[in-house]
Amino acid sequence: MSALHELSMTEAADAVARGDVTATALVENCLARIAAHDGKVNSVIRLDRDSALEQADAVDKARKAGKALGPLGGVPMMHKDMYYRAGKVSTCGSKIRRDFVPKVTATVLEKLDAAGAIDMGTLNMAEFAQNPTGHNAHFGHCHNPWRHGYCTGGSSSGSGASIAARFFYGALGSDTGGSIRLPATICGVTGIKGTQTRVSRAGVMPLSFSADNVGPLVQTARDAARFMRIISGHDPRDATSAREAVPDYEAALTGDLRGVSIAVPQEYFFDGADEVVVKGFDAALEAMRERGAKITRLSCPSLRAIAAYTALLSRSEAAAIHAEWMRERAGDYSIHLSSRLYGGYPVPAHLYIEALSRRGPLLRQFCAEAMTGHHIVATPALRTRVPTLAETDIDADAANWSRFMAVSANTRPFNYLGLPTISIPCGFDDRGLPMGLQLAARPFAEARVLAVADAFQRVTDWHKRHPGL
Amino acid sequence: MKPDPIPPSMEAIRLWSGVECPNEAARLGLADHIGLLKELEALRGTLAFEDEPSSFEAALRAEQEKEA
Repeated sequence: MSALHELSMTEAADAVARGDVTATALVENCLARIAAHDGKVNSVIRLDRDSALEQADAVDKARKAGKALGPLGGVPMMHKDMYYRAGKVSTCGSKIRRDFVPKVTATVLEKLDAAGAIDMGTLNMAEFAQNPTGHNAHFGHCHNPWRHGYCTGGSSSGSGASIAARFFYGALGSDTGGSIRLPATICGVTGIKGTQTRVSRAGVMPLSFSADNVGPLVQTARDAARFMRIISGHDPRDATSAREAVPDYEAALTGDLRGVSIAVPQEYFFDGADEVVVKGFDAALEAMRERGAKITRLSCPSLRAIAAYTALLSRSEAAAIHAEWMRERAGDYSIHLSSRLYGGYPVPAHLYIEALSRRGPLLRQFCAEAMTGHHIVATPALRTRVPTLAETDIDADAANWSRFMAVSANTRPFNYLGLPTISIPCGFDDRGLPMGLQLAARPFAEARVLAVADAFQRVTDWHKRHPGL
Repeated sequence: MKPDPIPPSMEAIRLWSGVECPNEAARLGLADHIGLLKELEALRGTLAFEDEPSSFEAALRAEQEKEA
C-alpha cells in the first residue's frame, strides 16, 4: 500500500473497509501533516482534533463489530468554512461572520456524515466566497503549496491547497464563477461542479441564487464520482434541487475514449491565453485523441452573449444579499470585496431580468452550436500561468483589478449555462505551477465528464504528483 | 469629450441603495463597467426576450444528452 497521504479518497475508503488501515491511523497521519506543513499553506481555519479522533474510533469499533461501513467510511475530510453545522462557528471567511453560529446543518454535510466521512474541521476561503485568487484579509492569504507566494485560486482556496498538500482526502468547495475549478486547476487537483440544481444548497452560505453550486475537490475523477453520487439528488429542504435520478457515476468509469467526440470552441476561451497554457491544452487533447477521442475545433458565436450576461447575474445577486452590511459595515469587508460588491448596485433591474430570461435560450443555442454531435466541450480552465498573490492583490493596489478579474474568465460561462464541468490537472507551466483541463457536458451528464476525466487520468499521471512540502 | 459616467453612477447607487462608494478600488471597478456596457450594447437586437425566466430549468431538462 502507498504511503497514507498518497492514497486517493476512494483508495483510503476501500483500505479502511478491507481493514488494511484504521480510520484512526488515517486521522493521525492527517493531523501530523497539517501540523507539519500548514504553517506555510494556511489552508485551515478550524481543526477539530478531538472530534476527528472520536469519529475515527467509532468507525474502527463499528468495523471490528462487523458492521458495514458507508462508501466514505473512515475517510478524513475538511470543508470550506461556509457549510453550516448546527452549533459550530461558520465564518464564511469573513470578519462580519467571525462568530456566526448556525442553527442548521447543511444537507451535504449530513449526507457525508451518513456515508461515514470524518469531518475534521473547516478550511480557509475567499471572504464570502467572492474572489478567484485565494486572498483573505481576515484569516491570511492561502498560499499555493507548489510555490509560496502564488495564488491558490479561489474562492475554495483552502480546499484546493489542502488536497494538493495531501492533508486529507476530500473537501467541499463551492462554485459560482469557477470557485471549485480554479483552485483545482491552480493547485493541481480534481474539482467538479455539477449541473445547476444537481446538489442541494440547503445550509450553505448563499452568494448568487442563480449560479451557486456545491461540489468536491479531490485527487482523482474516481474520487469525484463517488463524492458526487453521495451528495447529489433532490432535497426537500432545497426546493430548487433537481429531481433527476442520480446514476452510479463510478460504474460509468470505463476508461474508454473511443467514440467520444470533443468540441473545442475557438472563440473567447483563448483570448490573451499564454503560450504555455495553449501548448499544455493541446497536449492534453492529443493524449485523448490517441486513445480514440475525436477532436473538433468549432465556432461558437453564442459565447459573446453568454460572457456578457454571466457578468450581470452573480454581481447583481451578491449586491442584493450584502446590501444591509454594505450600508452599515462596509469597512468590515476587505477592499477587494467591498469594491466588487459595489459594482453590483448600478446594474439596472431590467438588465438583470434580461440576463435571467435569456439563460434558457442561450443554453439551447450553446448546446446546438457546441454539442450537436459532440459529447464534451474542452477548454483551458485558466488562460494564463498561475499569477502571484501580489500581482492580483487589489487591496494593495487597485490597478490590479483587471488581472484579478481575468482569473475566472474561462470558468464563469459554465455557471451561466449551468452545465456540469470538471477541471483536472493537465501539466505544469514554465514556473512549475499546475495547469488545468476544463471539460463540460450537457445538463445532468456528470457521468460523461467524469468518465472522460477518468480515462484521461488513466493515461497521464499529472493528478498523482504532489508538491514536496 | 464625453462626461465621466462614474459620478452619476455613484449618485444613483447612493439614491437607490443607500450605499456609499467604499474605496478607490470600487470607483475603478465602476469604470470597468464601461467594457461590459459596450458588450451589452453590441448584443441589442440580436436575441429575443423570453417571457418566463424559469425557462432555464426547462432548458436544462430538455437539453440532456440523448445521442451525440
